[in-house]
Amino acid sequence: MKKEESVKLISAEGFEFVIDKKAAMVSQTIRNMLTSPGSFAETQHREVTFPEISTTILEKVCQYFYWSLQFASGKETEFHIEPELTLELMMAANYLHT
Amino acid sequence: MSNQKKRNFQIEAFKHRVVVDPKYAEKTWKILEHAIHEIYNHNASGLSFEELYRNAYNMVLHKFGEKLYSGLVATMTSHLKEISRSVEAAQGGLFLEELNRKWTDHNKALQMIRDILMYMDRTFIPSTHKTPVHELGLNLWRDTIIHSSKIQARLRNTLLDLVLRERSGEVINRGLMRNIIKMLMDLGASVYEEDFELPFLEVSAEFYRGESQKFIECCDCGDFLRKAESRLNEEIERVSHYLDARSEAKITNVVEKEMIENHMLRLVHMENSGLVKMLLDDKYEDLGRTYNLFRRVGNGLSTIRDVMTSHLRETGKQLVTDPEKLRDPVEFVQRLLDEKDKYDKIINLAFNNDKTFQNALNSSFEYFINLNPRSPEFISLFVDDKLRKGLKGVSEEDVEIILDKVMMLFRYLQEKDVFEKYYKQHLAKRLLSGKTVSDDAERSLIVKLKTECGYQFTSKLEGMFTDMKTSQDTMQGFYANHGADLGEGATLAVQVLTTGSWPTQPSITCNLPAEMSTLCEKFRAYYLGTHTGRRLSWQTNMGTADIKATFGKGQKHELNVSTYQMCVLMLFNNAERLTYKEIEQATEIPAPDLKRCLQSLACVKGKNVLRKEPMSKDIGEDDAFFVNDKFTSKFYKVKIGTVVAQKESEPEKQETRQRVEEDRKPQIEAAIVRIMKSRRVLDHNNIIAEVTKQLQSRFLANPVEVKKRIESLIEREFLERDNNDRKLYRYLA
Repeated sequence: MKKEESVKLISAEGFEFVIDKKAAMVSQTIRNMLTSPGSFAETQHREVTFPEISTTILEKVCQYFYWSLQFASGKETEFHIEPELTLELMMAANYLHT
Repeated sequence: MSNQKKRNFQIEAFKHRVVVDPKYAEKTWKILEHAIHEIYNHNASGLSFEELYRNAYNMVLHKFGEKLYSGLVATMTSHLKEISRSVEAAQGGLFLEELNRKWTDHNKALQMIRDILMYMDRTFIPSTHKTPVHELGLNLWRDTIIHSSKIQARLRNTLLDLVLRERSGEVINRGLMRNIIKMLMDLGASVYEEDFELPFLEVSAEFYRGESQKFIECCDCGDFLRKAESRLNEEIERVSHYLDARSEAKITNVVEKEMIENHMLRLVHMENSGLVKMLLDDKYEDLGRTYNLFRRVGNGLSTIRDVMTSHLRETGKQLVTDPEKLRDPVEFVQRLLDEKDKYDKIINLAFNNDKTFQNALNSSFEYFINLNPRSPEFISLFVDDKLRKGLKGVSEEDVEIILDKVMMLFRYLQEKDVFEKYYKQHLAKRLLSGKTVSDDAERSLIVKLKTECGYQFTSKLEGMFTDMKTSQDTMQGFYANHGADLGEGATLAVQVLTTGSWPTQPSITCNLPAEMSTLCEKFRAYYLGTHTGRRLSWQTNMGTADIKATFGKGQKHELNVSTYQMCVLMLFNNAERLTYKEIEQATEIPAPDLKRCLQSLACVKGKNVLRKEPMSKDIGEDDAFFVNDKFTSKFYKVKIGTVVAQKESEPEKQETRQRVEEDRKPQIEAAIVRIMKSRRVLDHNNIIAEVTKQLQSRFLANPVEVKKRIESLIEREFLERDNNDRKLYRYLA
């Protein structure tokens, strides 16, 4: 994966997820972070830290990003969510505007 | 994480967040406020978007949205005040540049602020009906900067001054101008309109009012319009470069009104350069410009049209009533055609082939052609001239073009039946004297007349052609039968004409020479022998003859003369000297015809086969005639000037006129009967209107005459007056 097209998402526990920029931009919040005209720290270093999102959730979020891209391109599959994650996932979604 | 699920759980998520730290809000806001300062100071690179976003997110989530929002307003306002001061401080030309620079900065900062406060934009603002961040930023900019007392007027004056400088030829920074105007438009249409467009339009109106006043005093019409056009294009260009596209219509309107509409009448009536002058000089370019500019204003085109129409009517009237110009009918019609060509070309090249102009042209022609009662005659004479000699060496297409043009004039005639009358006479002369140049052209014209006026109009004309054809066959038959016993004497060619098809002329038979009359009798016997129940009478006034003559020194010539002239000349076979009286007695030719024919035999130079005593221009009752032994000519064949179709003399004209009136009577009656048959009952005015309409293609019915015809029909019990309403007529079957 080329550096220009990827971003690093860091969870509360410090786990790093390197994913496609395109996938990350499914989140409106992350999209703004990466495209805002001012040179914020995130835009410069191409990494975003989420001190309020746990690793499990961030992992699920990243999975969702990829699933959403596929879904948008016409591949309609189920996205499975474990019931115990639902609430936290919801909150992350609201935060990330996904 | 679809939308639906999110909505279901949102409320629960809120409940989970309970604020612990009371100073939390204060602390968080400090962080955000600091960030906003940094952003305005171009120092954002150290900031973490996520942190700021999270802070703003949490503030909104913990019900501190109101604090966040009001804090934002306060911070932004204080920054804008600062900017306002720095813009105010900018000197002269730097003012706009400073303003533009700050505007760009503000825009960028505003976008960053909006991004980090996006969560507030998304949730807090719609639920509390506040102004979204971006719009808030623009409004604050408008209120604190553009509408600040020190900037508002200065900005407007600077912009207007720049426009004025550009109008007077200076080069200005259009890019900067465009940015500033764009800013005004971004701040909302009303800002653009109030702070720039309205004063701009006012100032422009003022400017163009002054300029057009100046121009109209010192320029001619063409120059003025050229300048107006270039100004108009400048304004359109200006709009495309740095104004809002919606302003184009408004500013062009101002220019049109100030430069054209207010001066329209003065312009077109300018002496030596106005519209009339342009028309006279075929100034297609100027005319086209006038058309295009005037088209933009309310009644511009009708003004041009009125001027053109009145000018056309005026010149046309002069053309058709000037006795000087009426002398030569061919020239007269040619002038009409030239005039028509001229205006057709103008309308085509300069007036965009505008239909309304074409109609105006047509109605003008119709108006003035009919001013002269002799127009039908002249048009027919023109055709006669063309078909006799004018078409030699002209290709078929050109013939068609000329005929089409003539038809166009014909269409303008109101008294088409008068034309028919003359045309018939002229055609008859052409056919009988064998002078017609092209049979095809003749027929093509007949076809045109037929399509224009219907079968009835041309049936007699066609009959004339048929007669010519059958006569040829008859003559062949005659010579086949009698060829043997006719010997070597004179030969005869007879054209048998159907009465009615040909223009009737009182047939006054002259005394034919003995050689001829025997021949004629033989033909009569032959013709009546083959066709029973017919009557033949000789129209000696219409014939021609070829005779061989030997003159004094033995030179021989073949003379091409009319029948009358032939009769006169034959008399000199047996006499040396004849007086006018003797000739008149011997031939019994009617006096006016005899005079004319003697004149052409004795008085035309180069063709004077007779000698007259005394020598004078006119034929007197006491003149005596001799064969002119000294007659010479380069040619073997000599054509003696014959009855060329000429303008009619005054009494002849009266006579034709009367005949036309006479012919109209049955047509009017027929029309009345046709109308009444279908309508049964109709009042007087309606009858007149309908009759006029029906007969329009042939002539303009005179209401008085129509009334007379109605009375005549009542007398003959075709119609009756209604017993109650005397104005009503009833048809009696």
